Amino acid sequence: MNDNQTNMEIWQSVVAIVNDDNEFKGVELRKQDGSFEILWTRSIADADTDWREFAAECGLSVEPTALEETDSDRIVVAGFNTAGTIFHRTTVPDVGDKEIESIIQLQAETRLPLPPEQIELTWRADQLQDGQMGVTIAVARKDLLQKFVGKVRCFKPAKILLNSEGIVKIWEAFFSGNKENAVVLSTGSHNTQVCLVEQGRLSNAVVLDIGIEDFSADVTEQQTETTERFAQDMRSVLDLFGCSNQDELPVFVLSDGSASYVSIVSSLRLAGLNARVATPDSNGLMAKSELSDEELYQYRTPIGLALMAFDAGADELNIFERLYNPLQKAVQRHWLYAPKVTIAIASIMVVLLVIVSYSVDIAGPGSIEKRIEESVSDVDMNQLVKKQQLIRTVARERPDLLDLLKLVNESGERGITLTGLNFKKSQPVSITGQASSNDQLSRYEKNLQNTKGIEKVNYTANTNTKSKKITFTMTFDYKNFSKKTTRSKS
Amino acid sequence: MIEKLSKKDIRTLKYGAIGAAAIILFVFGSAGHERWTKAKANGAVLRTKLDTINVDKAKQAGLMSIVPVFEMPQVEEEQKFLFRDKLSEQLKKAGIRNKPLLVQSGRKSPEAGYKLLLVKCNATCKFVQVLDFLAKLNENPYLVGIEEFKIKCDPKKQGEVTLDLTVSTFAK
Repeated sequence: MNDNQTNMEIWQSVVAIVNDDNEFKGVELRKQDGSFEILWTRSIADADTDWREFAAECGLSVEPTALEETDSDRIVVAGFNTAGTIFHRTTVPDVGDKEIESIIQLQAETRLPLPPEQIELTWRADQLQDGQMGVTIAVARKDLLQKFVGKVRCFKPAKILLNSEGIVKIWEAFFSGNKENAVVLSTGSHNTQVCLVEQGRLSNAVVLDIGIEDFSADVTEQQTETTERFAQDMRSVLDLFGCSNQDELPVFVLSDGSASYVSIVSSLRLAGLNARVATPDSNGLMAKSELSDEELYQYRTPIGLALMAFDAGADELNIFERLYNPLQKAVQRHWLYAPKVTIAIASIMVVLLVIVSYSVDIAGPGSIEKRIEESVSDVDMNQLVKKQQLIRTVARERPDLLDLLKLVNESGERGITLTGLNFKKSQPVSITGQASSNDQLSRYEKNLQNTKGIEKVNYTANTNTKSKKITFTMTFDYKNFSKKTTRSKS
Repeated sequence: MIEKLSKKDIRTLKYGAIGAAAIILFVFGSAGHERWTKAKANGAVLRTKLDTINVDKAKQAGLMSIVPVFEMPQVEEEQKFLFRDKLSEQLKKAGIRNKPLLVQSGRKSPEAGYKLLLVKCNATCKFVQVLDFLAKLNENPYLVGIEEFKIKCDPKKQGEVTLDLTVSTFAK
């Protein structure tokens, strides 16, 4: 049920504030090397003081624009008095979470017969035993909880915890609470919180409207009446808890060591209950000034809540889960960052891409044909393509003979006379002529060799003994026309 | 109704729905895919045709300088006549008095579906006349290429050359 678990290890101290027994109480507890230290305690019993004022008194920021407390090295928790909360203990078979949820919803509605939208509930399951699972349910009126949230929101507590859970926690930690199953009584001035502990965890709680001041009445007759009523109420509570037959179930009365608590225990013992006094044991708890048993007892609830806040793995009953979640705002990110939304958008885009590509490919050829028909009018498209292909072939078949003649002429220097030129496709071009000297002929060959489009230049020469003139025949490849592979592909 | 269904039933229904959707997708998808493939192939053919026609301007200008005019080949008899007639006209224009033109079938045609016809020409003329003739030869719309060009100076007669020319044309 607790989705709001945070790593408490990062905080050095916890401030816990409660309104217990018509008195605001606050403590700051620090954890150091496995032991706890109380940094300060504060209490105000003034009826005019509200949560905001007391939080300010405790040095907490109550301004709406102030930085979140979670940014600092301490957190604040608020305690909720469970007087208006109904606890119920039930067992459910090992079924799915959804089924358990609906069973619990039904059970809650029987305990608090109100429309579902008017109630808030939370539950905590025990370990599975013989196919059955024990479940602790806490139910309360939604408007009551909302009102409480409205009161404490000003100092932005990281959590709102149940006071009864704090009592169980401090009983275990500093009142030698070593029993797995027990009933713990936390007596205030005018009321008494009765908590049933099963397997070391709170499983039921009830608030009785008899307090320590009722036991301290001056008139003996009145005292006897209170004792009897208290014993009677306790029997009814145990009956409600389903423990009426468990005579050996220990009943611990948390005490500051004064005689009043002994008389409560005596009255319970007289009623046949296995009652005993649980006095504070401050071993493992330090304070700036020495902490008396009375003080430890007075601040038992906020200290218990602070201890719970330090316990990161605690599966507390968070009845405010849906009504108050200060971390939610910080954690909340834009919906666009949600993986499901991103995947959905990506999928839609892929589908759109496929549809668009498909449409383009389907419509494309049609539109191209249409465009061609429009632009080429009556001329047959295939005819046009064929003509264009033929023109390309023809262009490859036509040597530029004027260019060839020009190249041959420009490469020779004065004194060289050309007498003939022979060009035939797939054969080297040959030229004949006369030159004055071998050097001249050699330069001519070199010039031709360096001309673009002419390669593989060779020549043969004969010297006329009479005229001293050299007649020559020179051959070379001209572009691609001299090569046997110049046949164009159809 | 749905509330009465067990988790298993709901899972089975989900798988069933996914399977049905997959079958529908496959049936329509494969038909669509086939249509798509055909359309793509059609598109590719058309694009190739367009590329053939739509040559870029520089290339087209290059082509035009080599082949300024071109007429589609006709049947052999007609083509022979047209080509020979135009060639004679060009020779005449250049002032070349040639011997009768000789038509013969040529080598293997470079273009499938067309024959290559050769026309041989022999003449004795001035070198300048040859140059004039060559400069205007590309204006023959039936000309394919020059197969052979032989030119020889007559040492006895200054400026006179003997010309042996073989040109080709396509015919259906």
